[in-house]
Amino acid sequence: MENISVKDNLSEIITVNMGPQHPSTHGVLRLVVDLDGETIVDVRPDIGFLHRGVEKLAENRTYHQFIPLTDRLDYLSPLSNNLGYCLAVEKFFGVKIPERAEYLRVIFAELARAASHLVWIATHALDIGAMTVFLYAFRERELILDMFEIATGQRMTSSWIRIGGIREDVPPLFMEKLAEFVSIFDERIDTYERLLTKNRIWLMRTKGIGYLSKEDALSYGVSGPIMRGSGVDFDLRRDEPYGIYDRFEFDVPVRQEGDIYARYQVRVEEMRQANRILKQALEQIPEGPVMTDDPRVSMPSHEEVYERMEALIRRFYLISKGFKTPKGETYACVEAPKGELGYYIVSNGEEKPYRLKIRAPSFVNLGAVNKMAKGAMVADLVGIIGSVDIVLGEIDR
Amino acid sequence: MGFEGLLKELSAKYDGKVSGYSQYGCNFINVPAEIGKDVLRSLSNDFGFKYLADIVAIHWPKKKEKFELSYNLLNVDSRLRVFVKIALVEPEYETVTDIWKSADFLEREQYDLVGVTFKGHPDLRRILMPDFFEGHPLRKDYGLKDRKWFNSADEQNLGIKFTK
Repeated sequence: MENISVKDNLSEIITVNMGPQHPSTHGVLRLVVDLDGETIVDVRPDIGFLHRGVEKLAENRTYHQFIPLTDRLDYLSPLSNNLGYCLAVEKFFGVKIPERAEYLRVIFAELARAASHLVWIATHALDIGAMTVFLYAFRERELILDMFEIATGQRMTSSWIRIGGIREDVPPLFMEKLAEFVSIFDERIDTYERLLTKNRIWLMRTKGIGYLSKEDALSYGVSGPIMRGSGVDFDLRRDEPYGIYDRFEFDVPVRQEGDIYARYQVRVEEMRQANRILKQALEQIPEGPVMTDDPRVSMPSHEEVYERMEALIRRFYLISKGFKTPKGETYACVEAPKGELGYYIVSNGEEKPYRLKIRAPSFVNLGAVNKMAKGAMVADLVGIIGSVDIVLGEIDR
Repeated sequence: MGFEGLLKELSAKYDGKVSGYSQYGCNFINVPAEIGKDVLRSLSNDFGFKYLADIVAIHWPKKKEKFELSYNLLNVDSRLRVFVKIALVEPEYETVTDIWKSADFLEREQYDLVGVTFKGHPDLRRILMPDFFEGHPLRKDYGLKDRKWFNSADEQNLGIKFTK
């Protein structure tokens, strides 16, 4: 009973728990909501239900062994997580990645972005009450997951990007499927837009709700589509380019409104731009190796192992002990579908990271929910949480 | 203004107490703990670092300064990213929630996992671990398997009693 406090004679603040299980969240999240009638006074997110201590596990694993754990963070776009982590480790060595591997990384990262945004648009529309978009978007996501399965053998937790390149070259079928996909995807996005963009219910449930100003967006440290929906023109792919993103032509969508509708527009446009990048990558991708031959990080091939003793020893050493990184600290970040995904690695010259800190975009974005939701109706909270696009696997780590 | 220029101005402003270096493609600034908060505030107000992306706390049990904080700051306009590093003897420091709102969650996280107390934080509670958890798991003296099983849970939290 101590949660209920009487403010004055007319209204009282009531505390309501939303969750821990709620269909609008990907994972387990409890929102402690203070309500004055139907108006939200305060929201306190309670997280940690999925905490697995990934950062602690990283300190007890070699650099290679940590890659599969990065998949389990943002399980809707595992390949972006792989990429961010591998870029951070590569910064220690400054290894040169083969051209084909660089292109495949971009292809995988953009497919992951499209897949993640598709899940977002599907579930967000479902939360607000549009069933058809859910079915359509999941149909297209299946195409992407099929491609991942062809290339990596896994649909979701693929662990495919390695330190120094890609695990293995993609089969010709992958490229065929990709060409097929990029030719139809723009049209499919138009379909979603026809269902939502001018839909009256959609507009009333999203316009002007969950407002976050430009100053607040910066101060709360939100990143990705929420930041750009609030008028901050910043995209890591363009402004701190990693990999070969500086070779592609794409636009960074920015909206000034800062509400749920603006975030929706930004994400839809990002899917189009992802498709644009995919088309360019498909045209430009060269033939060649997909793994660096830098002996510090790369595994020698089986053929080499059978013929040369040194290769056998190196393979044995890399598998059983891993490789050592030089002393120091580094940070690498990628523009993941949810925002700035960064890996801060402190090395003391051993085979294992001394400290690894993951800058999870959803975690920081969730901190701004209170600001967005204050003053909104309780029914809008579902839309606001949906527009943040959280994945609890990444928040809790 | 690039990183070199920023370092020069900071060094002039704080009588050469601030030093910096670039390593593996990242820019680091070393700041003594006494003026750390001032430097951070000045970076936000005068140098346009309006975006605090991350706070990392590192435990060094064998060093004299046992804890280290690393603030990941970004200037969205000039696209410069710097890491402000502050070494601490005691696991205690001033909060920066009055400069950046994102510090709210980030400081709670580092308090929870590494056990650095931030003075003046409006709501310093555990964020990832349960409230009744003992110890701080990301400290180096906390072993991988040191976790205790909870027999008596706090009944306040979810109203669930854990049994053996």
